[in-house]
Amino acid sequence: MGNKKSKVLLIGWDAADWKIIDKLMANGLMPAMKSLVDNGVRGKLATLDPPLSPMLWTSMATGVRPYRHGVIGFVEHDGKGGVRSVSSHYRKVKAFWNMMTMEGYKSNVIAWWPSNPVESINGCMVSNLFQQEKKGRETMDLDNWEIPEGTIYPESLKEQLMELRVHPHEITGNLVMPFVPQAVALDKKKDKRLTVISKFIAHATTVHAACTELMETQEWDLTAVYHDAIDHFSHGFMKFHPPMMPNRDKEEYELFKDVVIGAYVFHDMMLDRLLKMIDDDTTVIIVSDHGFHSDHLRPLHIPKVPSGPAIEHAPYGIFVAKGPGIKKGERIHGASVLDVTPTLLTLFDLPVGRDMDGKPLVNIFDHPKSVRYIDSWENVDKPGGELVSVSEESLEATNEAALQQLVDLGYIDEMKLEDSNEDHQEYLKGIIKENQFYLAKSYISGGKHEEAIEILLEIEDKSNPDFRFLIDIINSAIKTKRYPLAKEYLSYVRKNELMSEAYMDTLDAKIALGLNDGETALQMLKSAIKSKPDAIEILIELGRLFNSLRELTKARDCFLKVIDKDPDNAHAYHGAGVSFLREENYEDALDYFFQAVEKMHHYPMAHFHIGETLALMKEYQAALASFELALTMKPDLPKTYRWLIDLNEILENQKAAEFYKTKLNSKIVDEKVIITGLPGEKLMSVINFLREKGFVIKGDPINEAQWANPLNNDILEGVEEHICYLPENMIQNLLAKYDCRFVVVNDEAENVSEFIHSQARMKKLSFNADLIDGLIKMDKTARIWLGQQPNLDLFYVNNLDESKSELLISFVKN
Amino acid sequence: MNKKQEPKEIKMNGKPFEVPPGGSLGVLALGNIGVRAWKKAKEKFEKKEVPGNGK
Repeated sequence: MGNKKSKVLLIGWDAADWKIIDKLMANGLMPAMKSLVDNGVRGKLATLDPPLSPMLWTSMATGVRPYRHGVIGFVEHDGKGGVRSVSSHYRKVKAFWNMMTMEGYKSNVIAWWPSNPVESINGCMVSNLFQQEKKGRETMDLDNWEIPEGTIYPESLKEQLMELRVHPHEITGNLVMPFVPQAVALDKKKDKRLTVISKFIAHATTVHAACTELMETQEWDLTAVYHDAIDHFSHGFMKFHPPMMPNRDKEEYELFKDVVIGAYVFHDMMLDRLLKMIDDDTTVIIVSDHGFHSDHLRPLHIPKVPSGPAIEHAPYGIFVAKGPGIKKGERIHGASVLDVTPTLLTLFDLPVGRDMDGKPLVNIFDHPKSVRYIDSWENVDKPGGELVSVSEESLEATNEAALQQLVDLGYIDEMKLEDSNEDHQEYLKGIIKENQFYLAKSYISGGKHEEAIEILLEIEDKSNPDFRFLIDIINSAIKTKRYPLAKEYLSYVRKNELMSEAYMDTLDAKIALGLNDGETALQMLKSAIKSKPDAIEILIELGRLFNSLRELTKARDCFLKVIDKDPDNAHAYHGAGVSFLREENYEDALDYFFQAVEKMHHYPMAHFHIGETLALMKEYQAALASFELALTMKPDLPKTYRWLIDLNEILENQKAAEFYKTKLNSKIVDEKVIITGLPGEKLMSVINFLREKGFVIKGDPINEAQWANPLNNDILEGVEEHICYLPENMIQNLLAKYDCRFVVVNDEAENVSEFIHSQARMKKLSFNADLIDGLIKMDKTARIWLGQQPNLDLFYVNNLDESKSELLISFVKN
Repeated sequence: MNKKQEPKEIKMNGKPFEVPPGGSLGVLALGNIGVRAWKKAKEKFEKKEVPGNGK
């Protein structure tokens, strides 16, 4: 096609992060980026776990998770008993350049990681190894700088692009000075860091030169270019970025504090050139695969494990889009690296694969955009480009150079030439095992814990324990409710002291919660927090538990402590919001929930709670929108349907209410409303109120129901009433076959004591003071259990005022 | 278009810009035209520097 009006320029900046960009834009140091942001949309791009670039950029290029696209880790098996740097060979699904080729669009694809060897697409492709100056382990001289086979398609472009390469040896002091103003004071030969900077500048320049050359000389509909330099500069020098980290040498800090800023500014300068090469009909998109910690969250030490440097990665990359039909000056939320290819396809009016894990970002458009779908691009029988063939010798030399680069970056361990064959085999085994671990992580990230456990149990070796594998086995076992497995591994970890006591206590607490043992969980978390008072994960768990116990101030303290330490922690904002909501402080609750979804848009429970808060504030229309959004993110939550039914009925949208009723009925087998709480006047008044309104309720605290089978597992067996009162000690025994909604009445111990006293007097029974303690304990256990069941539909009643009464009726009616 | 390209003249504020042989980030950021112009400026400079070039 080539002459179509709309073009797309997709720019990838590995590890680019808004925290740095925003500061530089504010200081006028990234004007090109600012012009895009001002005239387009911006957002955060959620990364995937593990945040390893070749996996992420392949997810970006395919719209699917790593366990489906097959590119795992930094290295892969070469099929001959060895390993090689990740390549195009292992990608199992089509990338966007294949889809574009199938549909007759022309693409330039430059340096995408991984894209070696290149593919015979409709257009031009330059692989991620094109800029490499190494052959095997040797650095080629400028005069003798060969170009590896398989790095350029079509081959006829070789001469034209070769001359645009910049060799690290060509990088002069002039060029390094903007990064290290005092470079002259350093001896380049002695301080390897200047050599490293020269290499990054040379590689970035080469990629940019190839990109501009292809944009200028070739016909194209899509140009996609990937730069790794920001990631590399950040791994090397973020530790010197201001403010100075506590464990840094002042002299070194002064020397290298401008390097990261220099890298971003240089990228903006390159961006400026690209923007000048395109017209207003071209859509520009800039993405990064993850962010990079640049503040107090920078780790003080890099763990000595493979891919250890990835600990510096932050969970959100950047997304910017500007072009015809795209909103201006707005922020979008909820984007993920998986959404890049579906969005690209939508920009070209090409169909999105229903089998893709990502979605088109339709919220970037200023007018509703229709999206076309097909089942899968894998079923499209059209040529999309084949891998070019490369000689064994060339492949080996290129591969060795690429592996060395990964060693230099600290992503894989070095294998020394003098290693014995046995060592070599061990090294290879280690690398393959590591890849299996990343595959398991990818399954976990996609919510597929069973698949992850299977892999982890296979690679886990008790004679050589790796705490990373063990943590994931335990966590996935908890997620899948395989508590004996979780316990088995945790006791092994405890016995061998493989983790900190605090972390082990936290895992024990999670298991206890899963087993409804709230007391133990609380005890464990309290012990964990004592030894690690600032540990975010422990604080979050503890805060949630306090929320369940209605110890709302304590809960809030935990969450606010997390926010103080990590102001981007969405879970902490959500938890604090829940504590306010339960206190009926709706204004503050909303404030915190909104901040939670701003930090992490794809947070169905936060949207649900926004809906709940708005409904309680009688902002029904707005509440409706929030519940609808929560439903799109988590369609299996019956309580969202119920709210949608209630609100639509209140707003007299009968059609919509019926629609959600039908949806809900298709999910439910047997439905009950359970009223529970401490037995007191408040609980009785709720039950009496409902009875006055004509509802039939089985049992109440004064006249305890005669349960058909009190000792039977199925306490509701044969119960015909839709609404039942259940004492708090019985609610945990409800079977999963019932879809239960809970009206939980909150009351104070002294009121309950008074009520029981008067009941005892009326029935002429003796009053047992221990009974109250028992009830309070039971209340605590029940609340922990309720708080840990994310799917339960809970309606808390503090006081039965007019608005609450109306909502209560709606709640029990459906 | 698959042959060696001739360097284009680089202009700054509408006037021809002489690329320093030591290069500059601004020139590299121009991409293909910057790299070609810089390599040419280097070559010219190196020819001047080498004795016996008659310069």
